[in-house]
Amino acid sequence: MPQYPTDAEFGRPLPAGPNRRQFLGSVGGGIGAVALAKLLSEENLLSANSSVSSQADPLARIAPHFRPKVKRVIYLFMHGGPSHVDLFDPKPDLIKYAGKPLPDSFGSVMTRRKVAHNPLLPPVMPFQRRGQSGIPMSDFLPHMASVADELCVMRSCHGDSVNHPQSVYQMNTGSILMGRPSLGSWVSYGLGSENRDMPSFVVMPDPAGGLKGGPPAWGSGYLPASYQGTTMRPGVNPILNLKPSARVSGSQQKSTLSLIQKLNTAHLKNRDYDDSLAARVRSYELAYRMQSAAPDLVDISSESKATLSRYGIGEEPTDEFGTRCLLARRMIERGVRFVQLYSGGTLGWDAHKDVKENHTRYCAKTDKPVAGLIRDLKGRGLLDDTLVIWGGEFGRMPMSEQGTGRDHNPWGYSVIFAGGGVKGGMTYGETDAIGLRAETDPIHVHDLHATILHLLGLDHEKLTYFHNGREERLTDVAGKVVRGILS
Amino acid sequence: MRGLFWVAFFGFWLVAVFPAASSGKKELDPLLTKEDLNHWAYQPLMSYEPPTVEKGSLVRNEIDRFILAKLEPKGLQLQPSADRRILIRRLSFDLRGLPPTQEEVRSFLNDQSDRAYPDLIDRFLASSAYGERWGQHWLDVARFAESDGFEHDFTRKEAWRYRDWVIRSLNEDMPYDEFVRLQIAGDELYPGDKDKAIATGFLVAGPDMPDINLDEERAHTVLNEMTSTTGLVFMGLTLGCAQCHDHKTDPVSQADFYRLRAVFANMDFPKKNKQLSHTFVESDANAPVSHLMERGDFGRPGVEVSPAFVRVANPMGHEIVPAPADAITTGRRKALSIWLTDPEHPLTARVIVNRLWQHHFGRPIVGTPNDFGVLGDRPSHPELLDWLAMELMARDWSLKEMHRLMLQSATYRQISRSKGGSWDVAIGSDPENRFFSRMNRKRLEGEAIRDTMLAVGGRLNRKEGGPSVHPPLPPEVAVTLLKKQWEVSEDESDHYRRSIYLFSRRNLRFPLFDVFDRPDANASCGRRNVSTTAPQSLTLLNSEFSLQSARHLAGQILNTGTSDFNDWVNQCYERVFSRPPIHTERELGIAFLKEQAALLKSEDRDPSALATPLGLTMKKDVYVGSALTDYCLALFNLNEMIYLD
Repeated sequence: MPQYPTDAEFGRPLPAGPNRRQFLGSVGGGIGAVALAKLLSEENLLSANSSVSSQADPLARIAPHFRPKVKRVIYLFMHGGPSHVDLFDPKPDLIKYAGKPLPDSFGSVMTRRKVAHNPLLPPVMPFQRRGQSGIPMSDFLPHMASVADELCVMRSCHGDSVNHPQSVYQMNTGSILMGRPSLGSWVSYGLGSENRDMPSFVVMPDPAGGLKGGPPAWGSGYLPASYQGTTMRPGVNPILNLKPSARVSGSQQKSTLSLIQKLNTAHLKNRDYDDSLAARVRSYELAYRMQSAAPDLVDISSESKATLSRYGIGEEPTDEFGTRCLLARRMIERGVRFVQLYSGGTLGWDAHKDVKENHTRYCAKTDKPVAGLIRDLKGRGLLDDTLVIWGGEFGRMPMSEQGTGRDHNPWGYSVIFAGGGVKGGMTYGETDAIGLRAETDPIHVHDLHATILHLLGLDHEKLTYFHNGREERLTDVAGKVVRGILS
Repeated sequence: MRGLFWVAFFGFWLVAVFPAASSGKKELDPLLTKEDLNHWAYQPLMSYEPPTVEKGSLVRNEIDRFILAKLEPKGLQLQPSADRRILIRRLSFDLRGLPPTQEEVRSFLNDQSDRAYPDLIDRFLASSAYGERWGQHWLDVARFAESDGFEHDFTRKEAWRYRDWVIRSLNEDMPYDEFVRLQIAGDELYPGDKDKAIATGFLVAGPDMPDINLDEERAHTVLNEMTSTTGLVFMGLTLGCAQCHDHKTDPVSQADFYRLRAVFANMDFPKKNKQLSHTFVESDANAPVSHLMERGDFGRPGVEVSPAFVRVANPMGHEIVPAPADAITTGRRKALSIWLTDPEHPLTARVIVNRLWQHHFGRPIVGTPNDFGVLGDRPSHPELLDWLAMELMARDWSLKEMHRLMLQSATYRQISRSKGGSWDVAIGSDPENRFFSRMNRKRLEGEAIRDTMLAVGGRLNRKEGGPSVHPPLPPEVAVTLLKKQWEVSEDESDHYRRSIYLFSRRNLRFPLFDVFDRPDANASCGRRNVSTTAPQSLTLLNSEFSLQSARHLAGQILNTGTSDFNDWVNQCYERVFSRPPIHTERELGIAFLKEQAALLKSEDRDPSALATPLGLTMKKDVYVGSALTDYCLALFNLNEMIYLD
């Protein structure tokens, strides 16, 4: 009985028919003989076009539950909590009652800091009606205002925690607790990948780091690691360990890789073409393709001057965020399913002290790139089947903090959608007279998630994963699709 | 509705079985029905005789009888024993998480006595590496990490003491019932014994947000997490599903949940912004009144509840009595620990033997080790499970005895690959290997992969215990952390400690472990995912750690003094795979070394910029040496490196 690979395993012709596992009717496809034969030839192994698919591949493409409106998502996460009452949700009463304390009629309000009895702070920037649709936006966002007719401003969003990390988790995972799978992971799990050269869920954190709650915000929780967000950054080394050490040349690595694949393939043949071993052989193929695909992705030298300037690339203070927005477009063009960008390091949009100063800074960095992205997507016909999301983990309080700042407000705030399946140039829902709480047509975070999944063709009640005794969902036991915004 | 129906039929019977549960609590709980109790896991443990089988000659111990009894009716039998090289490798990783040394392999191959195999098991079990290996399995279940999580993710400076306690207890073969009792109530059982109190670090090992606004919310979240985790870890009960409403499928009511939570309700919580203590602390015996929390909302206390045990697992009728006047703590956790380890408890012993089986055989008997409830998997071998549970108790809850039993079975020794004949029949009739008709192939965890790469390159530092260490992180990862969250250990030798001694930060898993499915320590993990991803391959292929490990292994081989490629290939296979290469592998290896050396020379690179072997005691040709590094790197990337036959 041979217990080690036998010499005959090397170079022996492969079975012509279906492989053993398929023949024996086992679940999981294994890799087909033809594909395996391709693997064996070095040319194909190292070619950029070889594609091997398998049911055992966790990222194989999966049909949605119903016809989707969009195929992919770009999520622009404004970390720290942008102020809805200074950007998208004008409140005349806030001007009227400026300087007065919160009227008793609003009842007690839970806040992060002790601001409940502070005087109300009027909007720190004037609002104008924008575009054909006339939706109001403040002067903080002149560029986004120029694409107002593409925007669906949901002004009645609300969540459950006044704290950053809990709210960052909730906006990403539906739960204020740590460790649940993120939206992007659920989407990867539900739909698989559209491409063979890149991960399906990519995250581009703010280079300043410091996201409150950290990488669990894009983790896969109890879903397999295949679905977690892969962190990418601009520059020569966009993915961790993407490139070999400077001590290893390209041709040197190629021959090492070729030896690996030869030995792994022999190992696999001698083990009933075990699915997981086959998947690992494939993972080296993908890794090799990523090594060239990822640098190609982040190489924006082929982009026109007009495109670069649309994103504010090459000028300050937009260069950094503009570059990441452009990379987001390049990613979805290459079949990345879900791209998430963060704006704002440790403090970000968290304007406790001075909203005007803080938001002037952050809007200057992001406004032009965001508008450029939407316009660029539209110009390329990509906006029709892409969903762009703009929003933070919460909004900000109508009361002042330290005179000119505002505290966190999860009880009512705005999130913006643009793209396929949603009406542009509209506002939906209302906060109360001063922007404290969502009042008309409130949208809980679960509802936002249900709607995002719906646009992707997924029923949030059917997208489940069994874990520790429960069929878990992104939306827990709640969530309603916000039908009023669907086109 | 369901409750009322069954009350009519089984009321009398229930009153007899659960007098406490049925007195005056009707408004809180649907009464347990006979149907509820019919679920296999809630049935008392049964004593089964190992069955008689046809192929008695294959049997090495009772386990094999239970396995064969399921195989034979399907026309299957046990596969033959794997050969010694495979067995020693299997045992070594299983018990120590490390490859066998060449010396260990040689001496096992040469040991002709009947005791060779059991002696080997004993040697590995006696090694301190055993506790370091199995300690990690337990830490996964205990959702252990050394920081709070959330925004600040503050370091828990004393958390390592619990990790060390786990390792030491396993190495000393502390009886499992005591192991459980101490983690629930070490302080109450042994007042004044600091070491025993450290075990209660289990209860407070979960995530926590010290700066959360309201004290009540913090306490509520922590206590619910503690209660849920206790259910998952010791009983395989998904109690957490009953935080907001009665359990949808299992006979666990919301009141059951909050009654059990009341056991922990006297915990001292620190003030806002202060971290939890590294042990469970109760400073008096006056527990606050406990409530059922409506919809699991901390702001909506409902009816009062008294501490009590989950009814469905309490046929023994344990009760919690009020603390005596002179008590210093409530004694509730002590009562809980005694209830959990009562030999009549239907779940505790079953759950742990299933965990042991899972790690040895690559698949548990109950496929959902944290969920023995109605939605969990049914046991593939219910009689065997009960027999093992009884055996554990008969052997004074000794885990090492249970390892011996399992590892000495013919079932464990089976080959994991073959072809033709009975093998094809086994693959055909038992494609998922649900009946253990062969050995499962197992993938090593990231921790074992790292330890192996350090060990074969001669770099592994076997220092035991103490505060956790911080090897350098890739700069791209390090910048994502807040200041002082990862201060690289000053002593470089600490960078090469075993993986279990690496600092375990909740918000950032060590990258190599992260890609290989280390759980995130936010909930008990009974069974790791085994995913296969491109980032794993990139890590093993390109990371600085891989390359350094390959350079060190190459250095070790060159230091043996030989310049013969044939010897090098032999050495590599012996060290990394515990076997010699076969002819084709040898030829491929030699050809690779020659071609790679020629390639490197032709590239005319600066010798100082090559991946030359490290730790050399003599001068060698840099091109040939670097080719050997590449070869070692290739071996680290082979399936044979991370999958065990």
